[in-house]
Amino acid sequence: MSQLGQVLEQYGRWAARWPTIAALVPFLPIVALWWGVAAAEVFPRAFFPGPLEVVNGFAVLTYKGILPAYLEDSIGRLALGAACGIAIGVPLGLLVGLNRAAHTALWPLVLFFQAIGDIAWLPLLLIWFGFGLTTMTFVIVYTVIFPVVFNTALGVRSIAPELVRAALSLGASRIAVLREVILPGALPNIMTGLRNGLGYGWRALIAAEIIVGTSGIGFMMFDARRAGSAVEIVIGMIVLGLLWYVVDAWILAPIERATGQRWGLIARS
Amino acid sequence: MKGLTLRNLHKTYFDLNMGSRVTAVQDVSLHIREGEFVAVVGPSGCGKSTILNMVAGFLPATKGEVLVGDRPVKGPGPDRGVVFQNFALFPWKTVIDNVGFGLKMRGIPKPERDRIAREFLALAGLTNAADRYPNELSGGMQQRVGVVRALANEPDVLLMDEPFASVDAQTRMTLQEELTRIWQERRHTVLFITHDVGEAVFLADRVIVLSKGQVLREIDIPISRPRAWDTVSEQDDFKRLSSEVLQMVRSA
Ligand SMILES: Nc1ncnc2c1ncn2[C@@H]1O[C@H](COP(=O)(O)OP(=O)(O)OP(=O)(O)O)[C@@H](O)[C@H]1O
Ligand SMILES: [Mg+2]
Repeated sequence: MSQLGQVLEQYGRWAARWPTIAALVPFLPIVALWWGVAAAEVFPRAFFPGPLEVVNGFAVLTYKGILPAYLEDSIGRLALGAACGIAIGVPLGLLVGLNRAAHTALWPLVLFFQAIGDIAWLPLLLIWFGFGLTTMTFVIVYTVIFPVVFNTALGVRSIAPELVRAALSLGASRIAVLREVILPGALPNIMTGLRNGLGYGWRALIAAEIIVGTSGIGFMMFDARRAGSAVEIVIGMIVLGLLWYVVDAWILAPIERATGQRWGLIARS
Repeated sequence: MKGLTLRNLHKTYFDLNMGSRVTAVQDVSLHIREGEFVAVVGPSGCGKSTILNMVAGFLPATKGEVLVGDRPVKGPGPDRGVVFQNFALFPWKTVIDNVGFGLKMRGIPKPERDRIAREFLALAGLTNAADRYPNELSGGMQQRVGVVRALANEPDVLLMDEPFASVDAQTRMTLQEELTRIWQERRHTVLFITHDVGEAVFLADRVIVLSKGQVLREIDIPISRPRAWDTVSEQDDFKRLSSEVLQMVRSA
């Protein structure tokens, strides 16, 4: 038992030194298992491709330019959704968090529309906007906004009233209080909201691409089903996971560390 | 620098639990002269914080008024610097940016406000902490920053609500001595709230004893300055005044 503890401790130290490699290690057993099951041909090879075939397919799709183009489409939609989600969600969250009347007026609406969920809008959106970018943008923006509004409002309310008072007695105007106290104070929560929102949004986007389908990773996967190519579907799945890992671990998490953790507003993990 | 006048201040709260009005401050009148250090003591719940919050402009008075010099207070403003019990430093700003905050609000450019902020940091022995974030400092250091942040904005009046209540006893004594030293150099008009009788007598020119929202008594503290704990605590004057104030607070 203590030996296992020692090994884990050693691994922890090693992982801290090589974070990128350490992020890959947990996948080794899964890939090995996958390999084993595929090699044993428990399932027909065409339905259950092995790692090598997938890597091969990956190279081919990349070479043909299909994967990069679809990836670009999906990421572009995610970025657009994130931008709109922030542009609408943050001000709305500030309003709801700061103003009692706005809270009373808007909160029931926020709860109601959040409950409907993104995909539930699709049938109506397809009637309104057809199979196109507008529909997909709507879905992703819709998904991103609610966690951002929620968490921004939460962040605003979690700011100690003393900080606002301190700023006011140092001569800050209302606008200065918003810029110097409310926004930075709510920033860690805004980041959390964005992280959640983009996480949900990413999944909603893929679902929308599968249904609305003109391009994108989701479309590629669904299209592969028609052609009976399990390899492309698996590639799509791997790309989804990888991409989210990159966005979260390389962009969102570092921002969280540089703000909330540095300031002592969030415990270090 | 200006004097501070409280004229017939009243405050009643509406207590949601009891569903009735509670009088927290009742007809308090007080004049603090320019450059005078006044401490208000009283048992918990006697209305000390309520008074300070009205003076700071955080709470509207139910009746009466507060004057800085001869200008009535309408809300919070940079003419009244406030030092808070829990420091209230901006966690996302470095120490030097916290101290320079008031200057920034006045539109003073960054190099100039950094220069001024450094001067004030030196005053409290904080030169090396300039680029740190508040959560990287001890409680005592954080409150030094809190005091210096208020001072750097050159307010007419300094308001302090139990500023040293949340640091350990040793640090508290050091901070008290530093405060008297800085005050002697700059002679701010100070309204200092505390429930610690020794602290009030050690720091102030005059101690106001508050009871149930009313001024019970005012006592002048003619102890010579500069004051340091080793000498002051031995003085008969200090002992006599402290026990006098303590008796009043306990009977309050
Ligand atoms: N927001 C409020 N609503 C209702 N009653 C309040 C409110 N704030 C204070 N009070 C009441 O007013 C009275 C005075 O409170 P205050 O905070 O001014 O006391 P204090 O002297 O500062 O006490 P302490 O030494 O514990 O800080 C208390 O009885 C308190 O319960
Ligand atoms: Mg109080």
